[in-house]
Amino acid sequence: MIRAFLSGMWIHVVMFSRNPFDLSGVALWPILYASIAYYLLDAKNDPELLLSASLGAAVMLMWSLVVIGSAAALEQQRWLGTLELLVAAPVPFVVIIAPITVASGCVGAYSLLATLAWGTLLFDVPLSIEEPLAFAVAVPAAVLAIGMLGLVMASTFVLYRAAFHLGIAMQYPVWIATGLLVPLSVLPDVVGKISWFLAPSWGFRALQEAALGATPWPEIGMCFVVSAAYAIVGTLCLHAFVHVARARASLKLT
Amino acid sequence: MNALRVFFVGGLTSYRALFNWISPWIFVPHTLGYPVFEILFFAYLGRFAEVQSDEFFLIGNAFMGIAVTGFFGMSSAIAGERRSQTLPSLLASPANRLALFLGRAVPSIVTGVLVAAIAFAICAWILDVRFTGGELWRLAVAALVSSFACTAFGLCLGSLGFRGRNVSLFADMVTGSMLVLSGANVPLERLPGYVQAVSNVLPLTHGIEAGRRLGDGESLGAVSGLLGTELAIGAVYLVVGVALLRFFEYEGRRSATLEAF
Repeated sequence: MIRAFLSGMWIHVVMFSRNPFDLSGVALWPILYASIAYYLLDAKNDPELLLSASLGAAVMLMWSLVVIGSAAALEQQRWLGTLELLVAAPVPFVVIIAPITVASGCVGAYSLLATLAWGTLLFDVPLSIEEPLAFAVAVPAAVLAIGMLGLVMASTFVLYRAAFHLGIAMQYPVWIATGLLVPLSVLPDVVGKISWFLAPSWGFRALQEAALGATPWPEIGMCFVVSAAYAIVGTLCLHAFVHVARARASLKLT
Repeated sequence: MNALRVFFVGGLTSYRALFNWISPWIFVPHTLGYPVFEILFFAYLGRFAEVQSDEFFLIGNAFMGIAVTGFFGMSSAIAGERRSQTLPSLLASPANRLALFLGRAVPSIVTGVLVAAIAFAICAWILDVRFTGGELWRLAVAALVSSFACTAFGLCLGSLGFRGRNVSLFADMVTGSMLVLSGANVPLERLPGYVQAVSNVLPLTHGIEAGRRLGDGESLGAVSGLLGTELAIGAVYLVVGVALLRFFEYEGRRSATLEAF
């Protein structure tokens, strides 16, 4: 199963990285959101705020790629007629789906590089990572956590044919609820409570704390804790939803 | 007469095929949830940055909702036919191309405009932004003008669908760029001069500015210059779009790319 997971993840990272045009979109979107934040915040005197905005914009795209990329990948399997074959394979279905969502998060790491480079070159955002080791651990921890939340979402994608649309609809609510560009302090209190359950929130905090030199390790630890929780919930949901989809014979519908 | 039949019957049939199968549990969150949360996201970002009012972001992003449908309506119409492998058959028919694809795009655009209006109302209620009846009526006029300009621009984008496979992704990237370039979320005076120069020849920029002034209580006459400019920009893109549609259909046939997806 480990081999299936790792080879599946590698194949999808390569597939997602194959088309330069697709990758230009991966680089463009976080740059746009970061640019809006730079122009609105106009925080030349607060470089830490701009660096946080860069990281927030990058994590926003990581989530988008996970939720849209995995939905699109599953929709593609439907169109190609291979979804049924994957469900029928002897390898547990979760080991086939999880690499897709985690690979989408890995591709999101490109956006991190693009946003940091854009901010540094055009907006003089200081590229000083206070704790490089913690940052190096925080990146894969964030990718894993966000990818595993994508696994929970992906379980619904198996059930619904219009999963791609559902994926698109899930972008802004999660961006808002996790305080990536808009601090939770300006949102209603209940949103802060919701953010505790959402991986992008912990991934962003881990990256932010590592970059700004605070205490990133508890947040990095939380990334792994929520990843484990999502893996359990995702596996259960996937098992249940695959059963429903098989009972309804809807796996082949496009 | 035949072109009108192609426009209405073809468009209606295509629209039903597009949306009939989607469960309301997906259709409603997707079509309505996205613009509502987009408006709220930028309004709260504006509050945090202490830049402009909620009304600024409400009007800017509601107009963006209209732009999205204008841009995507045409590109999705062509990309959808390509994906279904029906594009070559359609182009083999003698039907008027503009009627063929505009007929498929217009129902989606009308849906988008309605959705933007509903999202506008919901967010105005959440953010406690109020307008008088007269202001709303004048805002609708500005939205209609912007919708025309965006649809004309969408025609240019859609024509690329005859030549390239990823026109939807391209339209997505252009729409994303409009978040910055149109002044929907960033006051234009904060942008560099060369970006402002680009903004001035894009659809939506003048429509949004007119919408904001109308929302502040100004009359239609006071913003007639802005609306006239938006109409003129839309007319230019319409002419360019029709020319591109012909050119890229020829190019698609010549390079045998109509079936690639």
